[in-house]
Amino acid sequence: MAELPHIIRGVDHVAFPTFDPAATVAFYRDVLGFPVVHSICAAGWGPERHPDFIHFFFDIGNGDRIAFFYYFGFEPPRGGSKGDVYARFDDDAPNFFVTSRHLALHVDSEADLLEYRRRLDNSRWPVELQLQHETIESIYTHDPNGYFFEITRALRPVTPPEDLDANLTVDALVEVVGGPDVSMAALLARKAELIVERAAGWEPAKR
Amino acid sequence: MTQLFMLDVPENTPIVAVADQDPAITVDRVGPYFRIASDTPIVIDRRATGCRHAVWYSSVAGLMRSRITQWDKDAMRIEPA
Repeated sequence: MAELPHIIRGVDHVAFPTFDPAATVAFYRDVLGFPVVHSICAAGWGPERHPDFIHFFFDIGNGDRIAFFYYFGFEPPRGGSKGDVYARFDDDAPNFFVTSRHLALHVDSEADLLEYRRRLDNSRWPVELQLQHETIESIYTHDPNGYFFEITRALRPVTPPEDLDANLTVDALVEVVGGPDVSMAALLARKAELIVERAAGWEPAKR
Repeated sequence: MTQLFMLDVPENTPIVAVADQDPAITVDRVGPYFRIASDTPIVIDRRATGCRHAVWYSSVAGLMRSRITQWDKDAMRIEPA
């Protein structure tokens, strides 16, 4: 398979609706210190009776941005008791699923992570959890819209063998989900075969 | 033969080291992976490895004709499939 040139340049913006722009500005600009960098004030138009709206952006580093839509006079669609203002679930939805979709922002050091911890802990949105995962350490809270929000740092750089391992994992996963036994056991069995086939002669790419 | 693969990253090396203390277990390499093999079931004590849970529960990269029969906070046990 020919290599496709990898020319994309990261996140331009991620966009979320908000029904509480005052708290959203307080959280992202006043507590976290993310500069407001762009906004659009637009009259509603088009075929769908679109409400008038404000689209506003915060810088999240590297020139990347998080953006919000506030729609005048628009009430959130009804849903269950769990989740955020965009997606609501009934009580029986497991939390691992509810929190699975989230935004994680990056910092370079433990000191930087703790600086954001300090800012959040002095606010209405204190850190709910600080956790070391496999190779990252993260702090978590929910923003004023209920969006699960993470700031993370790498405990060490990711190494080339881990990129190989990730590729073997996704190749095994794609095969296994198309087969009769969709399970971790089936994935680890297929991955072992791929390790023998492809890892023995593997050498890190010259950078 | 029980056989599992573990990627050679710093988080996994204590697990491989604990396994290697068992005289029934042999450890060799396939590229950047450790291959941990034994003619008998492989049992690794988590506390002896000092691994935190996130590392412990993501440490297995592959299983060759083997299956995991225990993988909890106490130990990992792998037997022939």
